[in-house]
Amino acid sequence: MSNKFSRRDFLKLAGVGAATTAILTGCGPASRYVKREPYMLMPEYTYNGQSTYYATTCRECAAGCGLIVRTSQGRAIKTEGNANNPLNLGKTCARGQATLQGLYNPDRVTDPAKAGASITWDAATQAVVDALKNHKPDEIAFLMGTTSDHLFDLVTDLAAATGINAPVRFGALSMFESRATLSTAAENLFGQRGLPFFDVGGAQVVFSFGANFLETWLSPVSYTRGFAGLREAQTKMRGTFVQFESRMSATGGKADEWMPIRPGTEAMVVLAIGKLVAEKRGGTMPHAFIEVDPANVAAKSGIKLETLEQLAEKFASSAGALAIPGGAALGQSNGLTVAEAVLALNALVDNFGKPGGVYFSALAPNQTEYQRAASVQEMQGFIQKMAEGKFKVLFIHGVNPVFELPASLGFKEALSGVGQVISFATFPDETAQEADYVLPDHHSLESWGYQRVVTGSAQPVLSGSQPVVSPFYNTRATADVLIAAAQLAGGKFAQALPFTDEVEFLQSKVAPLMNSADGFFSAADINTFMAYFQQYGGWWKTLDGRAVPVAANLLNHSLSGAEAEFAGEGEFFFVPFVSPTLAEAGANKPWLQELPDPTTTVMWNTWVEINPETAHELGLEDDDVVKIISEAGELEVPVYRYPAIRPDTIAMPFGQGHTAYSRYADNRGVNPADLLGQYFNEAGDLAFAGMKVKIEKTGKKQPLSRMESIMGVYGVGLGEEH
Amino acid sequence: MIRPEEIKMSAEETGKWGMVIDQDICTGCQACVAACAMENNISFVGEVDAGYGRSMHWIRIERFWEGAYPEVKMTPNQPMLCQQCGHATCEPVCPAFATVHSQAEQLNLQVYNRCVGTRYCANNCPYQVRAFNWRDYQRPEPLSNQLNPDVTVRRMGVMEKCTFCIQRIHKAQDKAKSEGREVVDGEFTTACAQACPANAIVFGRVDDPESLVSQVARAHGHGVKHLEELGTLPNVTYFKGG
Amino acid sequence: MIKRLFDWLKQPLGLIAVGITFLALFSLAAYGISLTQKPPEQPLQFPHRTHVAFGIQCLYCHPGASKGPAAGIPSQAKCWGCHNQIQKTQTSELLKPLKDAVLSGTPLEWVPVAQVPDFVQFNHRAHVAAGQNCENCHGDMTKVTIAENPQVMNMGWCLDCHKTIAGEDHEKLVKLVDCGTCHY
Repeated sequence: MSNKFSRRDFLKLAGVGAATTAILTGCGPASRYVKREPYMLMPEYTYNGQSTYYATTCRECAAGCGLIVRTSQGRAIKTEGNANNPLNLGKTCARGQATLQGLYNPDRVTDPAKAGASITWDAATQAVVDALKNHKPDEIAFLMGTTSDHLFDLVTDLAAATGINAPVRFGALSMFESRATLSTAAENLFGQRGLPFFDVGGAQVVFSFGANFLETWLSPVSYTRGFAGLREAQTKMRGTFVQFESRMSATGGKADEWMPIRPGTEAMVVLAIGKLVAEKRGGTMPHAFIEVDPANVAAKSGIKLETLEQLAEKFASSAGALAIPGGAALGQSNGLTVAEAVLALNALVDNFGKPGGVYFSALAPNQTEYQRAASVQEMQGFIQKMAEGKFKVLFIHGVNPVFELPASLGFKEALSGVGQVISFATFPDETAQEADYVLPDHHSLESWGYQRVVTGSAQPVLSGSQPVVSPFYNTRATADVLIAAAQLAGGKFAQALPFTDEVEFLQSKVAPLMNSADGFFSAADINTFMAYFQQYGGWWKTLDGRAVPVAANLLNHSLSGAEAEFAGEGEFFFVPFVSPTLAEAGANKPWLQELPDPTTTVMWNTWVEINPETAHELGLEDDDVVKIISEAGELEVPVYRYPAIRPDTIAMPFGQGHTAYSRYADNRGVNPADLLGQYFNEAGDLAFAGMKVKIEKTGKKQPLSRMESIMGVYGVGLGEEH
Repeated sequence: MIRPEEIKMSAEETGKWGMVIDQDICTGCQACVAACAMENNISFVGEVDAGYGRSMHWIRIERFWEGAYPEVKMTPNQPMLCQQCGHATCEPVCPAFATVHSQAEQLNLQVYNRCVGTRYCANNCPYQVRAFNWRDYQRPEPLSNQLNPDVTVRRMGVMEKCTFCIQRIHKAQDKAKSEGREVVDGEFTTACAQACPANAIVFGRVDDPESLVSQVARAHGHGVKHLEELGTLPNVTYFKGG
Repeated sequence: MIKRLFDWLKQPLGLIAVGITFLALFSLAAYGISLTQKPPEQPLQFPHRTHVAFGIQCLYCHPGASKGPAAGIPSQAKCWGCHNQIQKTQTSELLKPLKDAVLSGTPLEWVPVAQVPDFVQFNHRAHVAAGQNCENCHGDMTKVTIAENPQVMNMGWCLDCHKTIAGEDHEKLVKLVDCGTCHY
């Protein structure tokens, strides 16, 4: 305290003197009167000024990349990839790098709250106890995100033992990745659920049908490594990459050839290529490809027959041909057919289980079968139950459905049908704002846990999390809250979760791995095992755990080459895509906002991509605000004239348009999900690219911040006073 | 006693630290940009200033378009950062000697406490990789907790640019010295190279023919140094691939 | 108008006024400089000399100096490790802040004495490893209570020493006077 006065006195007495001094001494130590607090109890393994590194797991998406976090004096300073983790081998994406800006974000939820007013954790825990005890088991529901697998396991155990509804998981990324479609296609063709693994790194020729595997798709860091392998193949032959999509994504930008096919013709293009490949390879024509007529496909899709033949030649003659389905190609009414056709194309060149081919992703060590997040159709059923008042209590963790789900599904409205909504949000997001209680969980860097690596690594991997810094705010681990509440509730709840805390639960879950001979470490007792688990950032097997798909009848499977159906009256195909830099939950991190989009270089906002020719016909320039109207909604957004998009297609990035998600995200840009209606593909995934929309001029202008900008220099400005 | 200005700059022709960047495998994912910002305490400037081209990226990824629809092609992504020139055009124009050549590390230094903000260096840089602090950009608390203590936090009126993560160079040298050995190739790398998921960026000693960066350069052959014709002697080599 | 002001200043009374103003500004500046050199007020009157007199090495409390950039302030647990065995700690008025801080679990707020500006990256380890003793920069701790700065730690002072040490060694000099050695 006295220092504060001395500083004030100093300033008062020597106001002029200080200024003069500053000049005379060349602006000496500016931080002369700072105060330094010593450690109360310094950890034994560190010295002042020396960094300590902890291994943990990134939770910016569900991929489960290992991180090494540099900490100094109890603060997290930098995240790096964990070089030991077989999934990412020391690498990270931009979102992994920026995770610290979530941890130290100025707008986190700091205290547990009831209807906006802070409460104590005792009261908060009691609220959970009451919610569990005072309702029938089938009136209690959990909605969870795709990260924090240990918490999902905890709730699954709780649900199994007490009869409450099994937890439902959802995430916007899994929606845009059409994970349900991929696993349903695998189930239909191979008789086994699971995510296919596409070995891009070992391939020679890769045909990707809409898959944005270099951006956010499934496991981007691992797939990017694969892409590098494709280009620098071990055989020293540079692999070829062809991308089929109506709007050139950042992934498509890396392709040797970009095929701007007409939206909706993906299935027939795949089948036509299949037919041509089968013809070139000889033998009996597989059932799936018999009916398609390549000449007709060429006319409909906008690719010349000649080009189709060249592509087929390339695919058929390569020793390592691989086809990948994904992105907008699956988000259409016939998305499942596209996925199945692409898998059939792979079967045709017989690349299953071979380097550069298709595998079943390895199941994570403590996983017995592939579990996927809910499809949007399943979410629709969930919302239906909410609206009907079937759920009296809804717990929400790790997901922001009010923002992430298309508004037309009515999640926000359905919340009023739920008696009590308890959110465990770290950020005061749109869903947390609607909740009765917000019981903030720690940030991922303050948390224990594990994440199963569902795809991307040849070895089965369980990435482990540990706190790298002590909690910054008055938050509490959701697992601890649930365990404490279950103990207080007693009876079957206490029996379901017989643990003292989260760590004990975690130990019980990883203990079965302790003596496995195929792990890269083992230990005789759980404490030693956990020490290694924390040190290495998880546990993984040493051998390839990928299964080889068996598909004897796949080529007899009949597939329809019909065009996809589109909803709406508009003249433009609408393609929403996940922002490569922001993804579903990056908008609250200022540095992710300031990363230029890889294709448009736009920062801090949302734009709509329109072909320059189309824009010219409509009389639109860059930065002209247009109104986009679909049958589900409308929104206003500035134009970016994008040279690599079909003239009949417009595209918008998903990731912005928050109303509550920290100061960096609020009221910035728009959310293209607002335009999406309730249309699904055969697997129940949202047909997010299955809408047609109209464009109207508004006459307004809104300059976009672009890295390639010339603003300011030539008298074009954004704000008045700047 | 020898005066520092009398020391002959013999190493500048070869350089010391250098980088090779493979544009063929760079996916433009921006991981390097984010990693650089996190490592080097770079301020974010907000939408308006970013629109004026005042964003402070020390490394940016350039992409250009070739042709028109449907034959349009995106040129290989080009990460652009300070080329740490041997004969840097930014250096001779600084009136305050804030932009100087490090003789010990063969890098272009920006000495923040000397910089008076004339921006002459940025005007003279053919690569346009210098960023100027137009304001004291705010980091609302507790965002400042993530600041790297090894890197100076810059203030308004100061020019800044890529340092090849000189703090990491010093740290590695210090560690090696304390253990009585030389710095081993690959012992450390820059933040951008460390993050790059495609391994498109390789950093190391270009004056050591056995270092990974030299080996990669040899293996690829035909590398390009940007604007080499200006005689800037850049230390970053690009492979266009394809 | 201005001419009249100058005329007035030229007459004897005016010259005296100018002189007084100049002296006032000068003394204020001198006072300001002297303030920056005064040891700051600390939460407790830590007697360095007493501790040194007991034979405690600098590196016992500041081990970071030989390991890395920062020498560091010892943790309160370290102070208490010795002090809770010393009878005087319980009774001494001077030690009351330490006792209170440790028992209540609040950190003492020390004001650093030897500081370099933010734009200087100083590393203790390199200096200790080069054979510099602590007192070369921080003065003789057997003589002071609260640490004092025996010299102005500015760049000229750093470079004087660096140049002397480098002597005729080319390579050393290049490294020791390079801007990038301290500023980045």
